[in-house]
Amino acid sequence: MIELAHFQLLSAGLFCVGLYGVLARRSAVLILMSIELMLNAVNINLIGYAAFVKATEAHRALGQVLVVFVITVAAAELALAIAIILRLYRNRTSVNLDEIDLMKW
Amino acid sequence: MPFADTIGTDWAWVIPALSASAFILIVVFGRFLPGGGAFISISAIFLGFLLFWYVLADVLDTGTASFSITWLRVGDTTVTWGVAVDRISTVMLGLVTFVALLVQVYSIGYMSGDPRFGWYFAVHGLFAAAMLALVLADNLLFLYIAWEIVGLGSYLLIGFWFERRPAAEAAKKAFITTRIGDVGLLIGIIMLFKATGTFEISTIFHVAEQGGVGEGTLTTASLLIFLGAMGKSAQFPFHVWLPDAMEGPTPVSALIHAATMVAAGVYLVARMSPMFELAPGVMLTVAIVGLVTFVLAGALALVVTDIKRVLAYSTISHLGLMMLSLGALGAAAALFHLVAHGLSKALLFLGAGSVMHGLNGETDIRRMGGLRRRMPLTAITFVIGAASLAGVVPLAGFFSKDEVLLAVLDNRNPAFIAFALAGVVLSALYMARVTLVVFFGEPKPETESAHESPRTMTVPLMLLAFSAATTGFIAFNWTDSYGGFGDFLTGEGEFHIEPWLTATALLLAFAGLIVGWLYYGSGRLSHRAAAERFPLVHRILVNGYYFDRLYQWTVDRVVLTFSRSVALFDRIVINDTGVDGSAITVMLSALRVRYVQTGKMYNYGAAMALGTFGLALIWWIVQT
Repeated sequence: MIELAHFQLLSAGLFCVGLYGVLARRSAVLILMSIELMLNAVNINLIGYAAFVKATEAHRALGQVLVVFVITVAAAELALAIAIILRLYRNRTSVNLDEIDLMKW
Repeated sequence: MPFADTIGTDWAWVIPALSASAFILIVVFGRFLPGGGAFISISAIFLGFLLFWYVLADVLDTGTASFSITWLRVGDTTVTWGVAVDRISTVMLGLVTFVALLVQVYSIGYMSGDPRFGWYFAVHGLFAAAMLALVLADNLLFLYIAWEIVGLGSYLLIGFWFERRPAAEAAKKAFITTRIGDVGLLIGIIMLFKATGTFEISTIFHVAEQGGVGEGTLTTASLLIFLGAMGKSAQFPFHVWLPDAMEGPTPVSALIHAATMVAAGVYLVARMSPMFELAPGVMLTVAIVGLVTFVLAGALALVVTDIKRVLAYSTISHLGLMMLSLGALGAAAALFHLVAHGLSKALLFLGAGSVMHGLNGETDIRRMGGLRRRMPLTAITFVIGAASLAGVVPLAGFFSKDEVLLAVLDNRNPAFIAFALAGVVLSALYMARVTLVVFFGEPKPETESAHESPRTMTVPLMLLAFSAATTGFIAFNWTDSYGGFGDFLTGEGEFHIEPWLTATALLLAFAGLIVGWLYYGSGRLSHRAAAERFPLVHRILVNGYYFDRLYQWTVDRVVLTFSRSVALFDRIVINDTGVDGSAITVMLSALRVRYVQTGKMYNYGAAMALGTFGLALIWWIVQT
């Protein structure tokens, strides 16, 4: 029997994998992929709650609607980020974040 | 004329407003107008002088009146702007508008060709407006504002030729010296406001008479207000600015340093005298300061050789006489002498200006002589003014001085009257000296090119001479309804004379004139020999009792030392430690802390994740 806790565990695991990717990777493209992982972890969490929470139909639909929103926003964000990374590569022939450190003292 | 009939005391406020508008009009449009717009200022003051007669007629008909508008309301306190028209202020209105009108007309000739001709008349308008507002003010706050604008006008006019360093210095000296007194005046006004809750003069009197003001407060406030009057009226030891103020154009001296600004102090004390009389010690102080000023300044007028400075010391001396009169509870006599002296001294100053005009700006009387032949009109009018101030029958100065002496005799002990009579001799002596040296005796080579002044200058001289000669007769109780000038002003009893006092004063005045003639007219006695016989006295007098040196020393040694230590405190504690110190601390700590900003994205990401985790942890702990 699959319960809410399984959804949460999956979601938390996926989120940690994403977080690790964001913190440990050097390539901007991989970091972008890790962010997508974290967003999907959130989506799983939302779907889990929408399926198991004890509430009216309208409230259940709310979780699913939110997921659709997140997917949409994530797509838009990805398009923007890929564009930035492309420009970055054109300018510096690298997407290694170690070399992109102008935002400092 | 039905319209003219409606003009009365409620139009009094228009008189200063006219001059104030003249000031604004000339400042804004003066450069586009012929003559720099001088005619605007003159017409304004002329209309003011005409209005004065309507106001006078109405005051005689209906008596005192006052009008005010609310200026601002703070909490329960309402501050008003208003005018109080009574007999005292009406007399002052007449004096100020008359003298200001004549001085401005005279200035057309005297100032012709000056590059700032229009600005000169603009400032005259400002000054006249402020002085008239001061005279009319019904509350102390309004009076104080006008008082300060009068000071500003005097500063601008004394320093009118500011390209000349002495003029700029004299303007500063006049402004700062009077400001010292003004601080006292302001504190006095605030004390009265705290005690009574109002600025209105009549209400303050009412409360004070009911005993609503503590005796200590009353005495202190009165003394502080008197301090302001001492500054403006150049009483010892604040007299030092007036002789230096002679650096200004001479008509300015005639207006400001004879009839108006210096009279403001006397007028203020006269205005406040119902309150001063409740504090007997204050009245005694006023009398002593006045007496000291009267005698000491009179002695100084004997030794200075600049014609305008002689007149300046004479002015200080006579202002002292007015203060003495006020201190002897003779407010009406003081105002009478104020009017008589204002007319006579304005005449003398304008005469001195005429002499300077004829001699290309020469002011040293040692280089003048025998001018009566070349400048007959100036000579005759000057003699009238000098004789009036010396106290010669039947000129104005004789009558007013007599009333003052009478008040002193009635209310002060005999020592006062003795010193006052000594001062009378001095007055006659220095007036004889300046007149004889300048207009009589042998012509000097410097006076060869002397010429009589133009009509715009001699006509005001003649008008002033006429009024200085005739004003004295208002002293008498001519009709049943007019009981003498003192009775008219304040109702201080009927006109009376003390024959022996009048005779003594007259004899002493003539004695002074004769001694003056022996020294400076006939040459039978030598003033140089007198100076050599008493070298110490002569040196002290020539140096003006060393007041200027004393003040210079005080400023150099005490004020500047104190200022330097304050400046040092400011530099070390406020600036270096307080302001710079905090900035340096921030900078030094920033130099360390800035390494946190690595620029590595994953550092920021880790910080964000840890922060979120930390917040969640705290939330969890708080929940359980």
